[in-house]
Amino acid sequence: MVLGLLIGIGEGFSPGRTTNVQILWLHLPPSAQFPNGFSLVMGTLVDPLSALVLMVVTVVGFLVLLYSIGYMHQDRGLARYYAELSLFLASMSALVVANNLLEFFLFWELVGVCSYFLIGFYYEKPSAASAAKEAFLVTRVGDVMFLLGIFLYFYLYAAAGPAGLGGWAANGFVFVHNGQPFLAGATSSSTLATVAGLMILGGAAGKSAQFPLHVWLPDAMEGPTTVSALIHAATMVAAGVYLLAVTSVFLGFTSFDQLVIVAIGGFTAFFAATMAVVHPDIKRVIAYSTISQLGYMVLAVGAGFTAVGLYHLFTHAFFKALLFLAAGSVIHAVGTQDLFKMGGLRRSMRLTSVAFAVGGLALAGIPPFAGFWSKDDILASVYSQLGAHPLYWPFFLLAFAAVFLTAYYIFRAWFLAFSGSGPRDPSLPHAHEGPWTMQVPLVVLSVLAAGAGMFAFLPGFANLLERGPGIPPHFGTTEILLSGASLALAVGGIALAWALWGNGRVYALPASSPAQAVRRLLLERYYFKAAYDWIGARGVNTVARAADFFDVYVIDGVVHGFEGAFGGLSDRLRRIQSGVVSDYASYLVAGLIGVFALLLLIAPFLLARVGGG
Amino acid sequence: MLPLISIVLATLAAGTAATFVAGTRARYVALGVSAAFLAEVGLMFAAYPGWPGYNGALVPGFAEQESHAWLHLPWLQINYTVGVDGISLVLILLTAVLQLATVVYSWEERERPAAYFGLMLLTCFGSFGVFAALDILLFFLFWEAVLVPMFFLIGGWGGPRRRYAALKFFVYTHVASIVMLVGLLAIVFYSGATSFDFSAVYASARGLGVLPQSFLFLALLFGFGVKFPVVPFHTWLPDAHVEAPTGGSVLLAGILLKLGGYGLIRWAVEVLPQGFAHDRPILFAVAFLSIAWGSIVSLAQRDMKRLVAFSSINHMGIVLLAIAVGSSLGLLAAVLLMFAHGIVSGLLFMSAGTVHHTFGTRDLGALGGITPTTPVLSTMIMAGSLASLGLPALIGFPAEFTALLATWERLGYWVLLPLGILVVTAAFYLWMMQRVLFGPPRGIPPGAHDVSFSEGAGMGLLVAATVLFGILPSLLVNVIVSSPVKGFPGP
Repeated sequence: MVLGLLIGIGEGFSPGRTTNVQILWLHLPPSAQFPNGFSLVMGTLVDPLSALVLMVVTVVGFLVLLYSIGYMHQDRGLARYYAELSLFLASMSALVVANNLLEFFLFWELVGVCSYFLIGFYYEKPSAASAAKEAFLVTRVGDVMFLLGIFLYFYLYAAAGPAGLGGWAANGFVFVHNGQPFLAGATSSSTLATVAGLMILGGAAGKSAQFPLHVWLPDAMEGPTTVSALIHAATMVAAGVYLLAVTSVFLGFTSFDQLVIVAIGGFTAFFAATMAVVHPDIKRVIAYSTISQLGYMVLAVGAGFTAVGLYHLFTHAFFKALLFLAAGSVIHAVGTQDLFKMGGLRRSMRLTSVAFAVGGLALAGIPPFAGFWSKDDILASVYSQLGAHPLYWPFFLLAFAAVFLTAYYIFRAWFLAFSGSGPRDPSLPHAHEGPWTMQVPLVVLSVLAAGAGMFAFLPGFANLLERGPGIPPHFGTTEILLSGASLALAVGGIALAWALWGNGRVYALPASSPAQAVRRLLLERYYFKAAYDWIGARGVNTVARAADFFDVYVIDGVVHGFEGAFGGLSDRLRRIQSGVVSDYASYLVAGLIGVFALLLLIAPFLLARVGGG
Repeated sequence: MLPLISIVLATLAAGTAATFVAGTRARYVALGVSAAFLAEVGLMFAAYPGWPGYNGALVPGFAEQESHAWLHLPWLQINYTVGVDGISLVLILLTAVLQLATVVYSWEERERPAAYFGLMLLTCFGSFGVFAALDILLFFLFWEAVLVPMFFLIGGWGGPRRRYAALKFFVYTHVASIVMLVGLLAIVFYSGATSFDFSAVYASARGLGVLPQSFLFLALLFGFGVKFPVVPFHTWLPDAHVEAPTGGSVLLAGILLKLGGYGLIRWAVEVLPQGFAHDRPILFAVAFLSIAWGSIVSLAQRDMKRLVAFSSINHMGIVLLAIAVGSSLGLLAAVLLMFAHGIVSGLLFMSAGTVHHTFGTRDLGALGGITPTTPVLSTMIMAGSLASLGLPALIGFPAEFTALLATWERLGYWVLLPLGILVVTAAFYLWMMQRVLFGPPRGIPPGAHDVSFSEGAGMGLLVAATVLFGILPSLLVNVIVSSPVKGFPGP
């Protein structure tokens, strides 16, 4: 963590500096597009972009490891847990400082497999094993697209790059040269470039759980809460956003790509938030919230505001990790994740309730907490780009509306868990705070969640955000109006949550209400999960079984048909099948003799030809 | 310089003979021979000009070549000619590693151990010969020398339907060998070559027209393709694997399938470049069919060995595709992928064998949650599955990556098919792991225990190779790319 911070601070105060170190990994032979062959390198590139994310990874990683000491102490398989978590942190750090797309992909897969292991940490539970598989498979769909995107970029820019350097390929496809983006200005607007960008978006959508590859993240909550906090909130899921940021800075997206990215981001921000509104499980509410917040980041990067997107990544990592760890503290104390069984925990778990509230305020975007600054930057940035394309409008509005839902669902969770006079389920154990190892991270993260938004005013930190188009002027009239509007929405959301759930109230939707259908739709996640399961389990399985049947009965059947047709052969087979090993030997010898007889037969003919020719 | 290849051949031949007569001490002899084999292969690498550093220069022809007159007829010279290039050297390394791992893994074999180890060594002897031979007759003799011991391994130590499986294996591969032999002889005689030497055949085959070349290429494609195996000539493979003893399965998947790939590259693609160029559409069709079919049928399998067998068909389909793209990059990918698949499928078949031996079944429907009982075995299964589905840092990734890159370069968006199939491959491995490793324990007999030391050591060796070459693929790549590619259309 100290190293990560040092790198971050060092970067902050030496603006524009990039450090690029690399070794040759593979040299591939010449091919059509690359007559001189090409090299693939493994390198580290530390620039403001990566330094920012590296700080997140190391700080949150350290705090989560500390928290784990208290949270996980009763579990078996701790060696496995810490080994996998450490492998994850190593891979994630390597991903962040990767200096080329292939290396990025390599560690991208490694963090994915760590996520797979850790989601399935409680592998005896069928639901955990199934969730792990689902996470791997869904992200794999994205990964395959990512891989194709890499190929496309390789070939798209094969010869590009500053003159006299031999092009991008000769340099191992690294992102920078002498501190400058290698491909700056090489952005193409061809169809191929558009497809390449969309493929990268596909990869990012898989990792960052964006629509329509969002289904795995809520189920990933089967893992330990610490894992959810680190991997499925603060770091790994943000890697998709980071990928988009890296791509947009170094390779560039076409305007159509940008439109699609904005659409996916804006839609996901709203879509995921709606599902969080009704869910009874505290972790899943936060998981949907993560999807939704990642949508905001994608939106910002898509609109061309890389720095703003990463700024939100930075603040979100802290307040979302805080929310998860606070939720973990609750789960640790009461042994359930069902919000409707909890209640009144404010009295027995004061620190946790405050921490969750701080995280909630930051998430809802109440000043001066962290989320306010970064989320309003996103909204203001996208607003300033609305002229770029008329289709930006609906997605901007969706993202704007999601502010209200965000504030509502997170405070619904807070009121359900912490307000009121006592637990709704009297069988819950008496709650108490965890050990100091769990409390310290909560405190540290609370401070960060409250204050990280104002880091942008620190001179060194502001330098980290210099990449890409800068932060828009913050104090124009329009921006203030926008901020006011979003703040009003957030406050309205909190107020509605208080009205329905505050003070221990439980709001029950009337059974006859037409809204019940909506509620069911949301609880069933718009039936996406069911549809995917159906395709996976029924559709593919049926095809596979049919293919297997065909294989055994048709292809092999034809073979056996031939066998039957050659009656004599069949007789011999039957005799041999009943024989002993010596029979096989004699068959073998007969076969060999047959071969040599054939040789002898063709030899004279061939001899004649050779002689004649 | 030492005649290294002959020394290896002598070591293996003598070792095989000694193993057959060593009785209960056969395993010690086999271990010694395997260790010596691996050490000698190390020497071969050290003597190879293209290793360890690749400086961009190609190593022409064959290294460590030896040639002695054997049978000289007035109209034909048959020589004992052997030699290696980067392609064969990597596959020889694969043979040596797998032989050692299999011997270690089979250490506790109690049923006629002398014959068992002897036959395994004989298989490896033949495979080494196939990879080193540069004379058609020599090549064919070694080729058959692989077939026979494998037939006995399946027939003598196999499962309940071993006779059926052994015979099916034999008939398929034997018919294929005959077609292959006739094809090779036809090349010699139609082109007017007066020697069976590779170089002579290579030179004279240039004189054949496109149509004869493409016809002969098809014959060789059938001969080698059955060994691959390619759909629709693949049905012997699942049966052979299911019935074969574990050691036999490992060698079958790990080495025997590679003979087909190697033979296709050396004796068909290089010798008949015009025929290859002409027949490429057929290769593509067969390759795509194998890739898709192997993967989709894998999804429906309940027997762990059958599942891995069908995934082999899928992987070897990618090898064929990489050969068919006809570029240096594709060739590199094909050889690398053969190496990777050899190691990984060996590991998976060993795992499946241990599962069967520990739990009495390989039925994915009957087993579940074995991890608490057998953590080491579970780790091995996981390592094998993840390597097979192409996880970076394991050997499968650089191989698949280069294969897909080569495909993209030549075929453009056709690469979507193998790419899409990667998801299916991931699906059946993940499904298998979920069923067998995770969830509540099911079908675990009392007293089941984790892998024995020798089983663990054999699998551990393969895991080590998977990780080593996964992180440092350049160790292999530099050797492979130092060989000039003969006869590809374009670079």
